[in-house]
Amino acid sequence: MESMHRYVSPVNPAVFPHLATVLLIIGTFFTAWFFVFVVSRKSSKESTLIKELLISLCASIFLGFGILFLLLTVGIYV
Amino acid sequence: METNWILFYVTLICLIINPITAEIVNKNVERNLDIASQLVKTSYKIQVEETAGKPLKEYEFIVKDPNLSFISVKDGFNKRPTIEERKEKENGLTRYKITFASNAPQQTLLIETVSTKNILPYPSEIKQNDKQLVKYVGGLYYYSYYLTQTQRLNVQLSSSNIIAHTQVRPFAVMSNKISYGPYENVAKLTDDELFVHYENQSPFLTVNTLERTIEVSHWGNIAVKEEIQMTHTGAKLKGSFSRYDFQKDGRSGQSAVKSYRTYLPASATGVYYRDTNGNISTSNMNQMRDSVELDLRPRFPLFGGWKTQYVLGYNVPSYEYLYNSDDDYVLKMYVIDHIHDNMVIDEAVITIILPEGSSNIKLEPPYSIERRPNSLVHTYLDTVGRPVISFSQSNLVENHIAEFTLKYKFSKVSLLQEPLLVIGFIYIIFLLTIVLLRLDFSITSHSHKD
Repeated sequence: MESMHRYVSPVNPAVFPHLATVLLIIGTFFTAWFFVFVVSRKSSKESTLIKELLISLCASIFLGFGILFLLLTVGIYV
Repeated sequence: METNWILFYVTLICLIINPITAEIVNKNVERNLDIASQLVKTSYKIQVEETAGKPLKEYEFIVKDPNLSFISVKDGFNKRPTIEERKEKENGLTRYKITFASNAPQQTLLIETVSTKNILPYPSEIKQNDKQLVKYVGGLYYYSYYLTQTQRLNVQLSSSNIIAHTQVRPFAVMSNKISYGPYENVAKLTDDELFVHYENQSPFLTVNTLERTIEVSHWGNIAVKEEIQMTHTGAKLKGSFSRYDFQKDGRSGQSAVKSYRTYLPASATGVYYRDTNGNISTSNMNQMRDSVELDLRPRFPLFGGWKTQYVLGYNVPSYEYLYNSDDDYVLKMYVIDHIHDNMVIDEAVITIILPEGSSNIKLEPPYSIERRPNSLVHTYLDTVGRPVISFSQSNLVENHIAEFTLKYKFSKVSLLQEPLLVIGFIYIIFLLTIVLLRLDFSITSHSHKD
């Protein structure tokens, strides 16, 4: 017990709302880019699969962390 | 020479047959009986002496009041003698064996006891404008297995309005105090009745059930939620309730509970006070230096026999109660917290929800509790469920506000499980989009003219 120290969150709770906002904006940007990219694809023969996967991965990472911090901001402590 | 041996054996046999406790006397006993609230708080100061001059080791202490809730023992040097409850109970008595920390022929014992439900409303039903009268029946003399040489008893009452009380001389009444004694040489197991009938308008509020849930999140928060059912256990209201009289007449409904104070930890934030209808807006919160003071006003004044139930919740930061070194975590929190002054809790159930992935859970309660089986709970972003530790205890008072210690192991990597779950879910939606856009759902085969 003596060697233990007080546990603080890995992320300061004061920055939860800012993190949520910034991450969600970036995530939405990547999502928009992904859908614009997919719809404006000229023909199905073009090999754009790798690019699509990478954009959607970026979008989901930013959206995922964004949603998590949004939950923490509103008081759902997961 | 032979007669010497016979004498030796005779004394030896005498020593064995004669119980050692027979030579212990209570030299001086002072009792303070506080019956000003709904609790019976007794403090004893007992000077014990072994007349033969042998070192005292054990002492038998008897509590006559039923529903004993709390007992603490100290000796004259502020050391704590060990106390052990005797298993066998005879006609409602609770017996304790006290083993002294030091060996001396003279010892001083400071004992405090708190018992509940021994002050009864008398009459048990009153009208709205009546005063609440109560009676207490206890022991006039210190009930002990040993002879008591001198003893005094001080009774602290809530008001100077005393209807009747036991009159055994010498005694003296000073406004809201009655002092009895000194009584000399009271034989062991003398059982005389002390009866006090007096006015007591202090709130007789009993918490019937308290369900306290502590939810630990490693994102830096501990959420506490208390579901409380309480009853006014004083004199029951006879006849109808008149709101007009209650508002107009200051003497009306004095024993009714209009509001009470709850103290929360100083770091409490996001406090809510609600019931099944929603938020109860008639409450005030004051931020004090060392606590958060809540002034809770139920939706209606509580008269005798009336009930209310509500949920009280708040958040505290994790650094106040959670400690760690690497993967070992220790949670130190109060088993129960303050609800109202001189509170009585009939049954408390404490539930601790740990983050998903906690293991090696060890609970160290401050006093004996009834452990309930561990279970799992599923809330937001859970897969296998969060471990739940639950225990209960009945008949609790303010003296039971003490810390439990909960040790567990938790790996920091598991903290990433929740964001990964969200990321995986969103990525699957993207993948489905990618796949669906590559499928051709057209019925007729027509060639595009690009």
